[in-house]
Amino acid sequence: MIEIKGTMSFAGGVHPQENKRFTEQRPIELFTVGKQVAILLGQHIGAICKPVVAKKEAVTAGQVIGRAEAFVSAPVHSSVNGVVKDITLQSHPVLGRAMAVIIETDAAADNVKRPCPQRFGADFDASAWDPVRIREAIQEAGVVGMGGAGFPTRVKLEPNPQMPKDVIIINGCECEPFITCDYRVMTEWTHQVLAGVQLAARAAECSNVKIAIEDNKPEAIKIMHKAVRECREAKNIEVVPVRTKYPQGGERQLIKAVWKKDVPVGGIPPMIGVVVLNVATCAAIAEAVVCGNPLTHRVATVSGSSIARPGNYYVPIGTPVADLIDYCGGLDEKIAKVILGGPMMGFAIADLSTPITKTGGAVTLLTKEEITRAKYDRRETPCIRCGRCLQVCPAGINPTRIAHAVKHGMLDVADQYHMNACIECGCCSYICPANIELTGYIKTGKILVARAKKRMPQ
Amino acid sequence: MLDRITVSPAPHISKAHSTRSIMLDVIIALVPAMVMAVVYFRMQAVMITAACVIACVATEWVCNVIRRKGQSIDDLSAVVTGVILAFSLPPAVPVWLAALGGVFAIAIGKMVFGGLGSNTFNPAMVGRAFLTASFGMLMTTWTVPATIDPAMPAISPANTEAITQATPLGWSKDAIKGKADPQIANRQLSAAATGQVGGCLGETSALALIVGGVYLLVKRTISFHIPAAVLISAAVFAGLGFMFKPEAYMSPVMHLASGSLLFCAFFIATDPVTAPLPAKGMWLFGAGVGALVMLIRMVGEYPEGVMFAILLMNAATPLIDRFCKLVPIGGKANA
Repeated sequence: MIEIKGTMSFAGGVHPQENKRFTEQRPIELFTVGKQVAILLGQHIGAICKPVVAKKEAVTAGQVIGRAEAFVSAPVHSSVNGVVKDITLQSHPVLGRAMAVIIETDAAADNVKRPCPQRFGADFDASAWDPVRIREAIQEAGVVGMGGAGFPTRVKLEPNPQMPKDVIIINGCECEPFITCDYRVMTEWTHQVLAGVQLAARAAECSNVKIAIEDNKPEAIKIMHKAVRECREAKNIEVVPVRTKYPQGGERQLIKAVWKKDVPVGGIPPMIGVVVLNVATCAAIAEAVVCGNPLTHRVATVSGSSIARPGNYYVPIGTPVADLIDYCGGLDEKIAKVILGGPMMGFAIADLSTPITKTGGAVTLLTKEEITRAKYDRRETPCIRCGRCLQVCPAGINPTRIAHAVKHGMLDVADQYHMNACIECGCCSYICPANIELTGYIKTGKILVARAKKRMPQ
Repeated sequence: MLDRITVSPAPHISKAHSTRSIMLDVIIALVPAMVMAVVYFRMQAVMITAACVIACVATEWVCNVIRRKGQSIDDLSAVVTGVILAFSLPPAVPVWLAALGGVFAIAIGKMVFGGLGSNTFNPAMVGRAFLTASFGMLMTTWTVPATIDPAMPAISPANTEAITQATPLGWSKDAIKGKADPQIANRQLSAAATGQVGGCLGETSALALIVGGVYLLVKRTISFHIPAAVLISAAVFAGLGFMFKPEAYMSPVMHLASGSLLFCAFFIATDPVTAPLPAKGMWLFGAGVGALVMLIRMVGEYPEGVMFAILLMNAATPLIDRFCKLVPIGGKANA
């Protein structure tokens, strides 16, 4: 039997209330698509896709509607059968506004896509697939990191003779409060996830795999462990419980916990021979390679203390947040914030037509009381230099110094204090007794620096 | 419907604490020392503490009005300053003197710098330094706790030597000058633990201070770095003196238990505003405080050195902060 208690972790971090109870016992449910979807052409890190459909053109579910024209990019597909209504600017959770293909769904067609976990079992053998073919299938299916960053998965897996891969870490931490979609994927689609893991390992030419799961999900650890044991071909896969602490699921923090190495500031994990993949990404890889299905749907958690039907839904990408909320019982009058993502790193949105993307695994609805605890009505008070932000910072920087430098327009000072090492996890703002939006200031500072650099003559 | 939806940068939740709750924790931690002060010095303790607190809060209120800024007295930091100042005063000072110290502490120690978070020096220590410099006589007259009545038989064997006026540290100073035997001071330990010795209002009882300090540590209101550094550093220097010259120097345990050292370690040096931010800086700061306290006690002219040690290290805090610049995980230090 596997030891559930995780001891591995990183320095710093916080322990927000987990609040997973609203949805963790709710099985993944199918979601009936609404009247229209808006599929953003930039849902990943890298070049934005070029639309390859025209207005009024009929599209079918799974059809490519945006083509990737750079190496670091991923195509997007229609998630429904319908007609292209427009190609226009649409609210984007991260970028503000971005181009999207608006598709009106064909009411007559069957628009319900069913997941296919039953196609995978303990007898799955990845060696039947050629590594090059796996990578191509992943690219064609538009698979990107579904944990949040959205880095094209194929690029991650591409073997690089200069940087051989020592380990693949599968991220099943799900450290954000409220969110349970990865937990449900791990417990319900266990063999599909494991198939994806094996395919990814084959594509990346790296057989050493660790599946990291936070120890507040003992069920997932047990089920995953059992599945790995049953699977004959999964000898090099190990399930490792890690300590429950936010941001344990942060890429750098997870590598530190499991592999005891630091990713260089400004660098990426392959530099130290590590690839990190989210469990939902693994499920998508398996579906893309084995079934040939593009990434058009994802599991998203809709949660909050004040929503009638919280749950985990298999949602077509492009579904407006408003449709999801209506499906789950509508906006209660107590709800004061709609967040795409979790409460620690998610984006508060004002426009409910903002669509679900490949990377957005949750809609969290917070009541006024939940955010009033510190951030709503209460004012920002002076920094008392208590140092709590330094103690919890998983990047090991000085958030208050950087934030105050940014506040006073001293971007050079902010830079000297390693602003670029910030991972924007929000721990400093969470812990700050003076209610200072430290993360907000630092994010602003990063944007200002990036803009200033762009303006500089070459 | 959408007018009640708010938008702000992440994170959208936060820990349920505030500057006010931290200050409240400090006040709660000071209660045991307050109780002991009232037991030993009766109404005088109440009067002095009230005078300091009222003076501090009123001064902050007035300063905010003058500065045309919003009121900040509800953060309770002025109350903490008031209590700490009161506890560091001799019990016999007149009430007006205590109030004057409070006014100076807040007006010159804090508000002229821009209020909470902007001051360089610990306001309470600034107030006390002002009083020490201006009213030297009043600030060095130590009364004996009310429980020790010279007419009554000694309460504990330690009191048979009947140190009536001098504090253990005063005795220690005499011993260093060769005018007394440090053993007499050493025998005061149990009295110093409960507080039945001469000394400042809230600092006499070592046990009460330790209880408060442990409360702050357990509640994580303060981190252990500064108290540990202060006490270890002071113990090391006191230990060296005691090891090589026991006929002149008091034992390290007695040094730690007497005077303001414990109060300093848990309540004064841990003032976040005037202490360094990084953990390494906290160690340096605390070690500096401990070393300076012992330097003044063992070599300097004053029997107690906490006030000067704190003020000097406060001045060094910006330097320490620069010296201990953090290197990010996976990053390189700046040149």
